[in-house]
Amino acid sequence: MSAYLRALRLVNFRNYVDATVLLAPGLNVVVGANAQGKTNLLEAISFAATGSTPRTPNDPEIILWGADFTRAEMRVSMNGDEERKIAVGYAPGQKKRLTIDGVPASSLAAYAAGGAGVRVVTFFPDDLRVVKGAPSDRREFLDSLLASLKPTYARAAAEYARAVQQRNQLLRRIRDGLSSEKTLSTWDRKVVDLGTEVLRGRTAAIGPLGSLFEDAVSALYGPEKAALGYGYSAPLDGYAEALREARGVDVERGTTSVGPHRDDFAVLFGGVSMTTYGSQGQQRLATLALKFAAREYLRGETGQDPILLFDDVMSELDEERRGYLTEYFLASTQAVISTTNLEYFDPEVIERTPIVRISGGSVL
Amino acid sequence: MASYARPVERLITELSKLPSIGPKSAQRIAFHVVRGKPDDARALAEALREVKERIHPCKRCFNLTEAEECDICTDPRRDPSVICAVEDPYDIGPIERTGEYRGLYHVLGGALSPLDGVEPEDLRIAELVERVGREETKEIVVATNPNTTGEATALFIAQELQDRPVRVTALASGLPVGGDLEYADEVTLGRAFAGRREI
Ligand SMILES: Nc1ncnc2c1ncn2[C@@H]1O[C@H](COP(=O)(O)OP(=O)(O)OP(=O)(O)O)[C@@H](O)[C@H]1O
Ligand SMILES: [Mg+2]
Ligand SMILES: [Zn+2]
Repeated sequence: MSAYLRALRLVNFRNYVDATVLLAPGLNVVVGANAQGKTNLLEAISFAATGSTPRTPNDPEIILWGADFTRAEMRVSMNGDEERKIAVGYAPGQKKRLTIDGVPASSLAAYAAGGAGVRVVTFFPDDLRVVKGAPSDRREFLDSLLASLKPTYARAAAEYARAVQQRNQLLRRIRDGLSSEKTLSTWDRKVVDLGTEVLRGRTAAIGPLGSLFEDAVSALYGPEKAALGYGYSAPLDGYAEALREARGVDVERGTTSVGPHRDDFAVLFGGVSMTTYGSQGQQRLATLALKFAAREYLRGETGQDPILLFDDVMSELDEERRGYLTEYFLASTQAVISTTNLEYFDPEVIERTPIVRISGGSVL
Repeated sequence: MASYARPVERLITELSKLPSIGPKSAQRIAFHVVRGKPDDARALAEALREVKERIHPCKRCFNLTEAEECDICTDPRRDPSVICAVEDPYDIGPIERTGEYRGLYHVLGGALSPLDGVEPEDLRIAELVERVGREETKEIVVATNPNTTGEATALFIAQELQDRPVRVTALASGLPVGGDLEYADEVTLGRAFAGRREI
């Protein structure tokens, strides 16, 4: 049996001063009026499981206003009877304290890539940008999925970004006559080595992810044939040449024009780009389908069902799709789903489902 | 900043220029000195002055030394056919402690980094290339830090030496990625030396 969360304890996390939430396997529903702390709670679970928040790159935001640190702890049930305690402590300007049963994790990347013992798939309303937003939003989706599988991918991606920054600065220095070209091929090689690692990871994932996406779309939406199409700005076998050919333009513009940091993937329904032409509802379903595909992909790669954290996902769906989602969550190892309205669920389901009631940063 | 007597302020200002010493630590150290024995303060001042007066780079390898050439360069038991290139003098200590290495060193003085404006000319790469010609070196072990700038520096050195009859190797991975040599423990570093590879 896959791991699931038994309990969460929060200190100074967003609007929670000190709260404890007990969770059960299968569906858990978090309910509360607007601005009470539902989204914050799901964010906290993700923070405890991965060591970072998917909602903002600016960590200090998650600390309760006026407090100087935050801490999130979880008790995780591993394979039935074994239990583990994981915790993340954070104070601005200091390294995060990540511990597993009191033992410090070797790195944030290792903790996030399964070191903590659980993985999560999150859906926040803002995630619609994966479909309708910029290419960087889609790359981030892929990168964080791959990073949750392998710490080496996370490192390669981070080092690649640094190498590109260095190359960009060198290009500008060459353009402005401050540097000679003699180290450019060195940086090119570094960029290509690291970029190839990133491209290999993405290339290996996009095929299986595309078919899982197709399955998810047909279950959620209908018979429309859906697909993901990765667009390479430089092909994997020809990357070094592409980078070399781009040199002239790159020096002129002071930026690296080819490589995985410029790639994108198309989200297609019946061959039509949902990024460009999707209706609001189609974009929402495509986003959900991507999250479902991510879950199946993680399950296939790790043999463990990730925990689903879906924020306010029911409100904009029709009744039939709400019913489908409810069944989907009930069949999962664990799903924590937030809503303002319990009526989005079948009353029979609600009767046998643990309900977490939230009001003003407290669990009732 | 709170205002103390001028000499105390001055000491705090000077101390906070040191690496990894923030304003708070600078203040703590300053008051420690103020409270301490006069002899201790004098010894510290003397040590600071002496280090600047007597210590300079070794003529041959740019390690720090009091003499013209450092103890390693002048040690007849060292193998002069191998040179290990490091970024900074303090990278030598951890390598020495592994006991794996019996060759000489070459201190580059940093790593290539366009973002910091560090060019090959700012490092002692030309001096290294020249040494290879003069000293009949057979192998250069590039032991720059295992991060983006260190690895780029290693690649550049290999490129500069590609037409010379010298083997250029780098430490085997096993070093924490993105880490610094200074913090690598001896066992890992020892293994990295034993398993160095051609670049
Ligand atoms: N760092 C913080 N410290 C204190 N309060 C915060 C912090 N960050 C956010 N909040 C507040 O927490 C409250 C609850 O936010 P949250 O997003 O969890 O609400 P919600 O229950 O999901 O509401 P909705 O149904 O409108 O989505 C908000 O009023 C928000 O301003
Ligand atoms: Mg919300
Ligand atoms: Zn010397």
